Amino acid sequence: MLGHAPPLTGYRRPDGRVGVRNHVLVLPVDDLSNTAALGVARLVAGTVPLPHPYGRLQFGKDLELTFRTLSGHGANPNVYGVVVIGIEPRWTERVASAIAQSGKPVETFSIERHGDLNVINAASRAAYRLVQEASEQRREPIQASELVVSIKCGESDPTLGLAGNKALGRVVDRLVDMGASVIFGETSELTGGEHLIAERCATPALRQRFLELYNAYIALIEAQGVDLLGSQPTEGNIRGGLSTIEEKALGNIQKTGTRPVSAVVDYAEEVRPGQGLVFMNSSSAGAEQVTLCAAGGSVLHFFTTGQGNIVGHPLIPVIKISPNPLTCETMGEHIDVKLPDLLVGEIGLEEAAERIWEVFARTVNGRLTAAELLKHQEFVLTKLYPSA
Amino acid sequence: MVHRALAHKSTDDVAIAVTDLKAGEELLVESLEGGQPCWVRVLEDIPLGHKIALRDLPEGHVVIEYGEKIGRTTQAVRKGAWVHVHNLRTLRWDYGDGAKGGR
Repeated sequence: MLGHAPPLTGYRRPDGRVGVRNHVLVLPVDDLSNTAALGVARLVAGTVPLPHPYGRLQFGKDLELTFRTLSGHGANPNVYGVVVIGIEPRWTERVASAIAQSGKPVETFSIERHGDLNVINAASRAAYRLVQEASEQRREPIQASELVVSIKCGESDPTLGLAGNKALGRVVDRLVDMGASVIFGETSELTGGEHLIAERCATPALRQRFLELYNAYIALIEAQGVDLLGSQPTEGNIRGGLSTIEEKALGNIQKTGTRPVSAVVDYAEEVRPGQGLVFMNSSSAGAEQVTLCAAGGSVLHFFTTGQGNIVGHPLIPVIKISPNPLTCETMGEHIDVKLPDLLVGEIGLEEAAERIWEVFARTVNGRLTAAELLKHQEFVLTKLYPSA
Repeated sequence: MVHRALAHKSTDDVAIAVTDLKAGEELLVESLEGGQPCWVRVLEDIPLGHKIALRDLPEGHVVIEYGEKIGRTTQAVRKGAWVHVHNLRTLRWDYGDGAKGGR
C-alpha cells in the first residue's frame, strides 16, 4: 500500500507533537476582537486569523467549550506561534496561558484602555516577528505514529458506503496499525449503527462512556419535541439516494475501518498520538466537526463526499475523496482523490486505498489540498446553549 | 469487471445503482462480499446512488442493507422497483403522521 507514497515530513513542536503546516495564528478571544485580528492579518503576510461570533456572556460548559476550542487551535501542532487578541485582559490571558502550555510562543493584546489602532500596531509587530521565525522552521522526517488525524463524510450518498468510505476505512486501519490516532465523531449520524460502534469499544468502560454521550445527544434532540426527519438525512442526502438515518449511519461507519474504538472523548478534548481509533462527541455538521477535531489536535482531515461537500479549515488540510462520477465531473476542483472507477468495480479497494495514501503522504509533505487552494477556511464553534 | 448495481451483502434486500438505470434493463447484481449474484429487471428509472429492490418486499417489511435494518416499507415494493423515501421510512422516531414532528 505504501508503494508510490513518499516518506512523511513535518514540523516538530516544543511539546513533542508534530504538525504538517506551519501557520502563525491571530486568535480573537471574542466577537468584538475580530476586527483587530483581521487588521493584523491584513498587514502581515503569513498570518491566519480565526474570526468567530462568540466569547461574550457565555457561561458554564458552553464557555468552557469555547475556551477549549480556541486554545486547542492555538496549541494545534500546525501552528508555530499565536497572537491572542481579546477585549479585556483576564479572558485573553486565560486563553493564552492554555496555549502557552504547549511551549510555543504566544503574545497577548487587550483592547480595553488601548483601542483597536494601538492593538493592531503592537500585535502586528508581534505577528511580524513570529512569521519571520516560523519561516525559518524546517521540515524533518516523521513517522505516521506521530500524527493525529480525523475523518468525516458530508453531502453523503450511498456511493460512500459502497466505495469512498470503504476505501478510507482501509487507510484508517492502516494508520491505526502504524500507531497514529484517528478521530471520528458525528454522534447523531451513528443512529442505526450505534450498536456496531458500541460493540467495537475496546473496554466495557469505553462502551458505557460512548453510549452515555450518544444517548445524551439523542435525548437533547428529542427534548426539543422533534425528531430528525427532514434534517437527518439532509435534503442533499435524500437527493443522492439516502432514505433513512439508519442507512446513512451504516454508510458513515464504513470509513471508521475495523479496528477497536480505543478512546472516547467529549467535544474538542485533546487527543494525543498513539491513542488509536478515537470517538469524539461532535455535531454531524461538516465545519463544526472539523473545527472540534482541529481543537483536539488533529493536523489533517480526510473528508469523503458523495454529492459534493466543499468544507475546509484555516489550519488543517482537508483531503476530499469522492467516488461519485457526477460530483467528480461537475465539482472536480474540490476533489483531491477521485474514485468513480472504484464505484463501478474497475479497481479494487486496495488500489483505491493506495491512491488515498499517496495523496495523504504528499499533503502531509506540503502539497496544497483543493480546499486550501480554494480558500475554504471554515471555522465554526459549537454552541451548547444560549449566552447569558 | 464493471457493474451497474452493487449490493453490500448477498442477503440484502436492496442494491445501489452505481450508474443511472433505465426501466426495462436486465441487470446482474453482484455483492461486495461475494456470494450468488442475482438477475433483476429494472421496473422504473433509478438514478445513480439510489436503491433497487432485489426481491418483492411486502408493506411493513424491515429492509436489510449492509446486513442491518435500515427502515420499514410503507407500501409493497416489487422486485426491480426504486426504493426511497416514498416507500421506505426510518425505524427511529416512528411516530406516524402529524405526531411529534413526524410528517
